[in-house]
Amino acid sequence: MTTTLLEKEKQTKSFTFTGRGSDYFAIEIVNFLLTVVTLGLYYPWAKAKSLQYLYRKTELAGTPFVFHGTGKEMFVGFIKGLGVFISLYSMLFFAALSTTPFISVLFVFAFIVGVLILIPVALHGMMRYRTSRTSWRGIHMGYRGELSDMVTTYLVGFFLTVFTLGIYGSWFVVKLRKQMIDNVRFGNASLRYVGDGADLFLINLKGYFLSVFTLGIYFFWFTKNLLHFYVNNIVVLQDDGTYSRLKCHVSGWEVLKLTVGNIFIVLFTLGLGIPLTTTRTLSLIMNSIVMSGDFDADALVQTEEAYDSAMYESMSDMMDIGVI
Amino acid sequence: MTFEGKYYNGRSSKGMPAQITLRPDGLRIDYCADEVTDTVHWETAGIHQSEFNDATTLLRYGKFPQQSISVVDKGFREALLQCYRGAAFLKSGYNSMLRLWASGIAVMALSLLGLLVAFIVWGVPALADRVALYFPQQYERQLGQQLYTQLLQGYQVDDAKTAALNGYLSELDTDLDYPIKAAVVKSDEVNAFAIPGGYMVVYEGIIDKMEHHEELAALVGHELAHIQNRHSLRALTRSLSYYMLASVLFGDISGVAAVLVDNASALRNLEYNRSLELEADREGLELLRRNELNLQGAVLLMERLDFGSESDMLAFVSTHPNTGDRIKVLNELIGDRKQPYKKNPGLERHWESLKGRNKTKGSDTLEQNQTR
Repeated sequence: MTTTLLEKEKQTKSFTFTGRGSDYFAIEIVNFLLTVVTLGLYYPWAKAKSLQYLYRKTELAGTPFVFHGTGKEMFVGFIKGLGVFISLYSMLFFAALSTTPFISVLFVFAFIVGVLILIPVALHGMMRYRTSRTSWRGIHMGYRGELSDMVTTYLVGFFLTVFTLGIYGSWFVVKLRKQMIDNVRFGNASLRYVGDGADLFLINLKGYFLSVFTLGIYFFWFTKNLLHFYVNNIVVLQDDGTYSRLKCHVSGWEVLKLTVGNIFIVLFTLGLGIPLTTTRTLSLIMNSIVMSGDFDADALVQTEEAYDSAMYESMSDMMDIGVI
Repeated sequence: MTFEGKYYNGRSSKGMPAQITLRPDGLRIDYCADEVTDTVHWETAGIHQSEFNDATTLLRYGKFPQQSISVVDKGFREALLQCYRGAAFLKSGYNSMLRLWASGIAVMALSLLGLLVAFIVWGVPALADRVALYFPQQYERQLGQQLYTQLLQGYQVDDAKTAALNGYLSELDTDLDYPIKAAVVKSDEVNAFAIPGGYMVVYEGIIDKMEHHEELAALVGHELAHIQNRHSLRALTRSLSYYMLASVLFGDISGVAAVLVDNASALRNLEYNRSLELEADREGLELLRRNELNLQGAVLLMERLDFGSESDMLAFVSTHPNTGDRIKVLNELIGDRKQPYKKNPGLERHWESLKGRNKTKGSDTLEQNQTR
């Protein structure tokens, strides 16, 4: 009995976040200044910088992650995203200007359909881009999902959620996460999301009613439950059939302290302290996640294709527009 | 100098114990994999920029799949800085920013906040005004026409009074770039507004309140000034640009959508700012002067609108704040130089037909109601 326990403990790999609020604040303030001075054009470079910092300060088993994305790549996506947004909004504009109701309705309809399709396309692009640009010990992640699957999953889930007056929402969220996470490769290891829609539904139901009854206090425990549901259902499968599971130990009380603290920071710094809230949040969550099981940190093998700077053109679906 | 670290070859995640030696042309890495030792050379030019290092220094090299080393030794970083002074992979604008920390960043943050506030307070309105002023007149007129038709759909137009009002307008000596089209709509609401491109909607309620045609001239002058100076377009672009700014800052897109979709009613409820209102008041007064009408008409109009009972809070006044101040400004503008004024039979004829059914008797009762 004791030996198995010890063995299990030996297999635990922990995540850590070593970023400091003051460092991240300095980065973000420079980012913000440059973004303002360039009237927003610097934004992709700013985003790349902050992601590079946050990844570099997130460690698994003592080795940090590396974000390889560059401002230039993101700029292309940014411009594309901007183009899509402008064309979507011009539809609304035409709708507002048109005198014939039929044309107005048509344009509004086109706008809604456009937004509905844009979300899964952006999710797909983000997964592809983020995973391909993430590495750990030199091993890149990758995304094998198909765009058509993502769009189908999203649209079907969306309409079922609407038709069931939101009840299907929990299953929809799980389906979407499965679509996203099951297609992630980490070298020769792959991820699985094993959460169940019914569990999420119960969490939501309980969270909603208890939050109302406790005048919102339960909300922090609700958030904790959601976090556990999202993290604890992620499984890492390795080539040899062994697997390990993520485990998050955040308590409701810690979520409460974090949230209340963050609100005070934002209020009293008039928003300037937002970078501090990011590092606080990341350090609470990351430092409480461990990977338990038979994860062999030395056994990952590079499986991703090389990408070079010319490739981002073919990543036309990359649209980092902050949907998530 | 030699340091201990881990070497990753980019094909496997296995960290191999390595000895890293700093040489003038690059790094020499002797690593040990499965009891076999091997050596790689990294040229400084091929090493990727390395930022945000802490106790651990992480260096990456070459094309995909990148090799990397990690060294847990603060001395390593210092040795690199000494050995490869000015090398591209050691450069980091952010690291030098971090060294500034405390005072420098605090000052920067504050000046940034100031800059942002200044941009919001002065920059956005100035930019929006620019956009509004360069908006082609032809499109403005088209836009105005659509808004006008759209707005009138919700009301019943009084044809006789509309004809009288347009007659009154054509009789007035104005100096406008726009042909003016006005409508009188049936409503008790005491209100009137200008639509870009030369359109004007006047509610019956406001006409019923007036007793002298000079008041109408003042009202019309005020609205015409809004049109001539593109006030509604300026206010619209201004509020739109604020929404856009907010949506960029907070990633919320519904605000812009709301303004765009709802532009007709947004226009109706637009609040011009104080300076635009005063400008319109001033030019409205100018119109009275140009037509040699009694300037007191403008003051009378203001006073009359100000004495509305609390219950029917006059819409015209509620969207135009500080009536008291405006009367004061108007009186200052009129000043002591008493301008001679004449009767204008042409205008009065249209005024009479505009009042049409409301004879003098009607306005008497109105006054009694007000004083009660």
